[in-house]
Amino acid sequence: MKDVLSKVLDFASGKFGAEYVEARAQRLFRTMLTLKEGRVEAARQGLENGTALRVLVKGAWGFASVGSLDSKVLVEAVSDACKMAEAASSRLKTPLKLAEAKSIEDKVTLKPRKDPSKVSIEDKIDTNLSLNEAIMSFDSHVKSCTIDYLDLTGTSYFMNSDGSYIEQGKLYVWARAVATAVEGDVLTFSREEIGSTSGYEVFDVQTPESVGKMVAERAVGQLKAKKPKGGTFPAVLTPNFVGVFVHEAFGHLAEADLTLSGSVLGDKLGKKVGSDFVTFYDDGTVKGAFGSYKYDDEGVPAQKTLLVKNGVVAGLMHNRETAQKFGAKPTGNARAEDFHVEPIIRMRNTFIEPRDHSLEEMFEGIKFGYYLKSFRGGQANLDGTFQVGVQEAYEIVNGEVGKPVRNASISGNTLETLLKVDAVGEDFELWPGRCGKGQTAFTCDGGAHTRVKEVLVGGSA
Amino acid sequence: MVALKQEKLLSTAESAVKSALKKGAAEAEAYVVESCSTMVGIERGQIAKSSRVVDQGLGVRAIVNKTVGFSYTNMLDDKKALEEAVEKAVSAARASKPDKDWPGFPVERSFPSVKGGFDKRIVELRADDLVEIAGLILDSAEATDKRVIPVEGGVSASYGCGAVANSNGVAGFDSGTVIDCGLATVGNDAGEVTPVCYELNTERSYDIDPEWVGREAARLAASSLKAKKVETKCITVIFVQTALQELLSFTLINAVKADYVQRNQSALKGKIGERVASELVSVYDDGLLEGGLRTGKFDGEGVPHQRTPLIMKGVLRGFIYDNYTAKKEGKESTGNATRGGYWSTPSLEANNFHVVSGSKSNDALVDEVNEGLIVYLLQGAHSSNPASGDFSVVGAPAWKIEKGEIAYAVKGAMVSGNVFELLRNVSGLSDMERQVGALVSPWVRVENVKVIGK
Repeated sequence: MKDVLSKVLDFASGKFGAEYVEARAQRLFRTMLTLKEGRVEAARQGLENGTALRVLVKGAWGFASVGSLDSKVLVEAVSDACKMAEAASSRLKTPLKLAEAKSIEDKVTLKPRKDPSKVSIEDKIDTNLSLNEAIMSFDSHVKSCTIDYLDLTGTSYFMNSDGSYIEQGKLYVWARAVATAVEGDVLTFSREEIGSTSGYEVFDVQTPESVGKMVAERAVGQLKAKKPKGGTFPAVLTPNFVGVFVHEAFGHLAEADLTLSGSVLGDKLGKKVGSDFVTFYDDGTVKGAFGSYKYDDEGVPAQKTLLVKNGVVAGLMHNRETAQKFGAKPTGNARAEDFHVEPIIRMRNTFIEPRDHSLEEMFEGIKFGYYLKSFRGGQANLDGTFQVGVQEAYEIVNGEVGKPVRNASISGNTLETLLKVDAVGEDFELWPGRCGKGQTAFTCDGGAHTRVKEVLVGGSA
Repeated sequence: MVALKQEKLLSTAESAVKSALKKGAAEAEAYVVESCSTMVGIERGQIAKSSRVVDQGLGVRAIVNKTVGFSYTNMLDDKKALEEAVEKAVSAARASKPDKDWPGFPVERSFPSVKGGFDKRIVELRADDLVEIAGLILDSAEATDKRVIPVEGGVSASYGCGAVANSNGVAGFDSGTVIDCGLATVGNDAGEVTPVCYELNTERSYDIDPEWVGREAARLAASSLKAKKVETKCITVIFVQTALQELLSFTLINAVKADYVQRNQSALKGKIGERVASELVSVYDDGLLEGGLRTGKFDGEGVPHQRTPLIMKGVLRGFIYDNYTAKKEGKESTGNATRGGYWSTPSLEANNFHVVSGSKSNDALVDEVNEGLIVYLLQGAHSSNPASGDFSVVGAPAWKIEKGEIAYAVKGAMVSGNVFELLRNVSGLSDMERQVGALVSPWVRVENVKVIGK
């Protein structure tokens, strides 16, 4: 592959005078399953080859994607990309530049204990059938269960005109179980995901039985739940919930492309935006975590990036283009879902750093509030307004966890809310998820139990 | 753009079907697609990138003893890869579990003719032409208001075609074009940042208004400045199409899918013939709508598209079906099996979800509101409960309506409720329809919606 890519790069630099050229060739193999109440809808497997070519010509980006690894096709495609960049450059006001990045030659071979590409489809079906069984047999109120399973294995061959050549294995194992429970007119919904970059052995830790029980228990528990009161209340957030809050409410604003686009963090670098308890990281190096990798899709090593230290904004997540604009170093956050798309700034494993509050201390003194246990989606806005949906929550009454509530969500302004964080626990969990920003990225979110003095809870009661 | 050939696509599909039968499949189906998309992008106030994505692939479903296997590849020019894909579909079927309800693939039915799905002018657009269109968007946004940052946007021109063939004699080919332009903006004035505003224009024929897109996106951002918080209370809410599309995608559109209904995931189960919405509300799923974004001759299984009545004057009349869910009830598919791409098996989706317009102008809809909110986009619609239709989202951008006038922008207003309650409380639909994704609708006004402010 190295010779083919090097020929393509030389052609773009030689014939079109491209300032920067990058090729990312991939072979990707996927297995996918969908089970509905234990019925296997279709066992699916497939193979794709393709190459993404990205060039910088006269300060503008050109990009081409083709489903091929053939040098003739790639030379044509890179010419296309250069011509596209030239066309775009005609109205450019400020030519784009890239921050320096060390050139790297490396071959990253993954060593899973259980390589998903070597596990038979029969075994994968059986694993997912036991997950289904754990859910459907939990309680007669559970009426439906959909399980989606995906594993992706393959290799990325990355080369750029700065002299990097990286062969990197890719491995993802993911499953999602969704259940509904019904009682009279009440319909509840519960979802959980499993995700790992270590291998199929993730199912030995997160067993189908334990995950299935969690999903079913929640669907049934929510049947007795009441609607939340709308208004401002104190809240205790679990690692699962606070992770999504950190990701949505702060993380997206600290993606440097969005910061540059006018997010409220634009002028906040080095400034205090949260209470002293608030320290956030985005870490691409957590072993086996769903958001981890060795090199990003610009060939920059992943790292542990400090975003907020004791309430003060300490850094942003960069690609090479935004790092240049900020005079910062690239942080290895440039990710592309596959060869069909270009790399953009994405989070990896994002979390709030644990402190030393016990769970009892956090509940103490709350007369009425909410214990937000598990999220259902969330979304950020550049003005700092966040929304996180709730799939499992409880009332807190006089310092004790009380009755379940359903279909709540929380919202507020990030900068106001971070100042209201007044306790962070000593525990730590990371939960796998998927983030959408035009493309899908596999991520983890998490941290420690966190208390917020007050947050807006949306409810219909 | 590359020219894509009907004969080649159809013959690739047909030979994959034959090959699967030869390899031991009892039934087989193949889907082949090719697409080419050219894009010019606006980033932070300038045109800074352009891309071309050429994609193609084959997806094969093979049935062995009522067991379904599927495989795909994107290497259409590689005979060996195609054979391997067929092989893997058959072996996946052998490895999987039988489905006693498997009804067989659809049988051949004649395809309708559709209008307005293809425009040669879109195929002929080059990057230079798209740069010019993107320039119009940008210029008109900048000329509208200096306090507005054109954050992200651009224009894309796409051409795609697909063929479906199966062992029951279904053989179809269809092609289409789409041109899409849009701009996301943020207003920024003296430290005040607005939520992201967005305007777009997507058409099947080369008939877009990029200047309107730029102007409108900038106008929304500029008028989102000086936002205030609102009180918590139940008021009237007008949902603009862009907001309605987000809300319905995660609630009502799922609730009319036969799969959701049959599997106890829809609050509409067992309610055919019952009143489920205000009598002002009529909804079709229309795969034949002229110029509709999801209009085409047939669906992902080769079943002809049709116009399916779902809610007529507030009464629930029907659901949408693919072949599997239809046969389960002894019915015919409504042509709603959708392919995400060559890598996916068909799934049940709406084609053009058409909420029929009313008789009032947009302005008249606002005039009649004493106290209300007009919402353009929602934050967090995907966190709705897809089974019950309960939602709790942020309306942003949104404006307060007082005594028939749009009074001021609001910030952080949550809108909470249940989509079926919302449908019953519809008090007006405007006479201006537009399409946003799978939704074609007018503005929709709803009474007594819980808005949570401070």
